[in-house]
Parts: sequence; structure tokens; C-alpha cells
Amino acid sequence: MAELIWLHEGALRRTHPVFAAANADAAVIFVWDRMRFKAGHMGVRRQLFIHETLAELDLDLFEGDAVELIPRLITARRADRLLVPASPDPAIRAQIAAIGTAMPDLTVDVVDEVPFVTIEAEPDLGRFFRYWNKARKSALRANGL
Amino acid sequence: MNERTSSWSAPLPLSVDDRKALRSTLEARVAADGTDDGTEAGDRDDRPRRIRGGAAAARAALAAIDPVAYGASRNHLDGAVTRLSPYIRHGILSLNEVRNHALGVVAQPRQVEKFIQELAWRDYWQRIYIAYPDRIWHDVEPYKTGFDASDYESSLPEDIIAARTGVVCIDQFIATLYDTGYLHNHARMYLASYVVHWRRVAWQAGAAWFLEHLLDADPASNNLSWQWIASTFSKKPYIFNLDNVAKYTGHDVNTRMADNRVLAHSYERLGELLFPNLEPGHG
Repeated sequence: MAELIWLHEGALRRTHPVFAAANADAAVIFVWDRMRFKAGHMGVRRQLFIHETLAELDLDLFEGDAVELIPRLITARRADRLLVPASPDPAIRAQIAAIGTAMPDLTVDVVDEVPFVTIEAEPDLGRFFRYWNKARKSALRANGL
Repeated sequence: MNERTSSWSAPLPLSVDDRKALRSTLEARVAADGTDDGTEAGDRDDRPRRIRGGAAAARAALAAIDPVAYGASRNHLDGAVTRLSPYIRHGILSLNEVRNHALGVVAQPRQVEKFIQELAWRDYWQRIYIAYPDRIWHDVEPYKTGFDASDYESSLPEDIIAARTGVVCIDQFIATLYDTGYLHNHARMYLASYVVHWRRVAWQAGAAWFLEHLLDADPASNNLSWQWIASTFSKKPYIFNLDNVAKYTGHDVNTRMADNRVLAHSYERLGELLFPNLEPGHG
């Protein structure tokens, strides 16, 4: 069955782990989602920057509401798996969740970014230096190992 | 085409012509938005070179960084800053890749610790974004300025939007933001502090303004930094004075007293002027 990789504006590179998690022949898309861009206060310079970046990525560019468009693509292409780079953005997370809800038979895999540091327990995020004291040793090592 | 067929037909990707048209529209809007005309500014004057998107531009920017010099000069507007933030923000470069590159150019990790610590700030902000998404637009803590949140204006004054505050260095920073989509971190701090503490505008209004114009706009890094300036995510408000601007900026920034009078005070006097409800020494 077919797979679809949905790249979003927080993960615009071919070396993101989402590609290693997918089949080599997975289709790759980006959705130019004006409503989400507007809600996120994305200005025109950033849009141009993203467009320039997309031009170097081998993918299909769609325009519309991702929650409406992606299920139609999944259906038309008979895909059974959607892979998405993880994002902290609540708007993107909500869209991923909405697609999963709309298509209960679809496997939705959210793939994490390569970690910057390895910390055993979730650090205290109350102030930066509480985090840094836990993260420093790992941060100063290649691959955070 | 009936409604059912229309609803379930396969969406088509933008054609090559559609993509070109979208780009042309964006380029025209950028040109109208600031004084940038789309050419390489560095080729014709001393304004910062426009930061372009794409993996090739990102790799070139990464190859050009000096992470050792960064540690010593990063606070100066003409220091060895990297301008990698737009590429990191959009995942074109990962933090891991940038860190590994920095480690690869030195014998000892300590030589690039300051640079890596700045990368860690982004990791820290992203962790907060995931763990506490409600903190991005809401005060993490109360203001520590002697004012309540309700004392702050909810929208940005027109003269700030128009870069016509009359405080010349502030207007220059705003113009740079509009022209390039990028500001040195110190200039961001000055602008944010001016907006929140001199003009008593809620940090949310300033944060939304930065998000709209910065190429590296990230709600976590941006908004939580505004909260740090405002004192809703720090122990005290961040303020600066004209001496500080003069210390960290080059000749391109106007730091004449006559053109920046509201900034030309001692910190003690600024504390009295900006935070009259606080006990002396708390500003």
C-alpha cells in the first residue's frame, strides 16, 4: 500500500528522520495552508523563504486546508499510512489529530526530529539554567550522546 | 461535475506555472513591504544581505560560521553572529547537525560552548512549547514592574508600526526588521523592552508583530523571550539605556543623545521613570 509524507514548515529537509521511517517510494507533499499561515502570524517574507526552500525539495505542492485536502489525497492514492515530522505547533498537532480522527483506518506516524541532547528524566523547565545544568554534558558531545 | 465527484476527486498539485505565479506574488509583496528590492543588498550597500531559503543557502551559511569568535563577540551587532536561525526554525538544519559542525572545527568542546549553549536555548524553548503550550500567549508569571497586566495596551501604537517613534535608534531597528526579516538578538531585546516598558504595551502585541516580520519567527523562542523582557518569565524587567546601545552597536546606528532622549538616562533614573510603583532598586 502507498505511503504519504506530509512535510510542514518546521521540517523542510530531506534528511529528516521521517524519510528513513517511510518507504523509498512514498509520495512527499507540502500543503500551502493560507489559513494556518495567517493564524500563525506568518508574514510574507517567511512565506517567500519557505517557497524558496520548497523549490529545492522534490515534492508536490498543494494549496488548501490540510485537514480537508490530505484525506482526499489519501483516498485518491489509496494510501494507508501517513508520516509527519513531529511539531510542537498546536495548530499542526491539531490538524494531524483531525486527519487521524477522520480516517480511523489510516496509520498516522509522527516522527521525531533527531534529538539535540540525551537527558534521562524530563528536566525542570522553570528556568533555562536548570535545564542547561542537566543538558550541558550531552550538548557538548557529537550527536548528543 | 456533480458535488460528489467534485468532493472526492484527487486534488492536483500546483503546476510549475502556479508555483512561479505564487513566487512572483510573494516577491512583489516583499518588495512593497519594505525597502528591499529583491537584489542582493550586500552587492550595492552595507545593508545586511537578504537571507534566502533553501538547503544550498543553509549549507553555505553553516560553512561560513565562526563558532569560536561567536562566543566572544555575539553581543555586538557587528559580531560573529551566524544568521542560521531561519534555517534552524524551518528544520532545514537540525540543531544536532549545527552542533556537530561546531564541534568539528575545534579541538575542545569548551571552545564552542557559548555557541552550543545558544543552540540549547532553542531546544529549551521547544520543550516548553510541547509541555506547556498555554504559556506561549499567556503570562507565565505576573509582571514584576509594579503594574498589572491590565495596565498594558493590547495593541501596538501606530508610530511604532510606522517606525516613526522619534527615538531614532529604535526607528532604525524597526526599519531593519522590515527590510531584512532579521534582527540581531540585542536589537530584538532593545525593541521589545522599548515596546513593553517605555510604551507600556502588552508583550503579546509585540510578539505577534515580530512573528509577522522575522524570518526565524518561532512562537516559543519569540514569545517566551518577550516574556523574559516583560518580566512575566523572569525575576525582573529587562531595560537598557543609550550607553548600552552605543556600546554594542556600530556606526550604522544613531546613538546621539539629542536623537534618543528617552533612553539617555542612568539605570537608576530609568527605574524611577519606567517603574514608579516599585521600590528603588527593583527595576
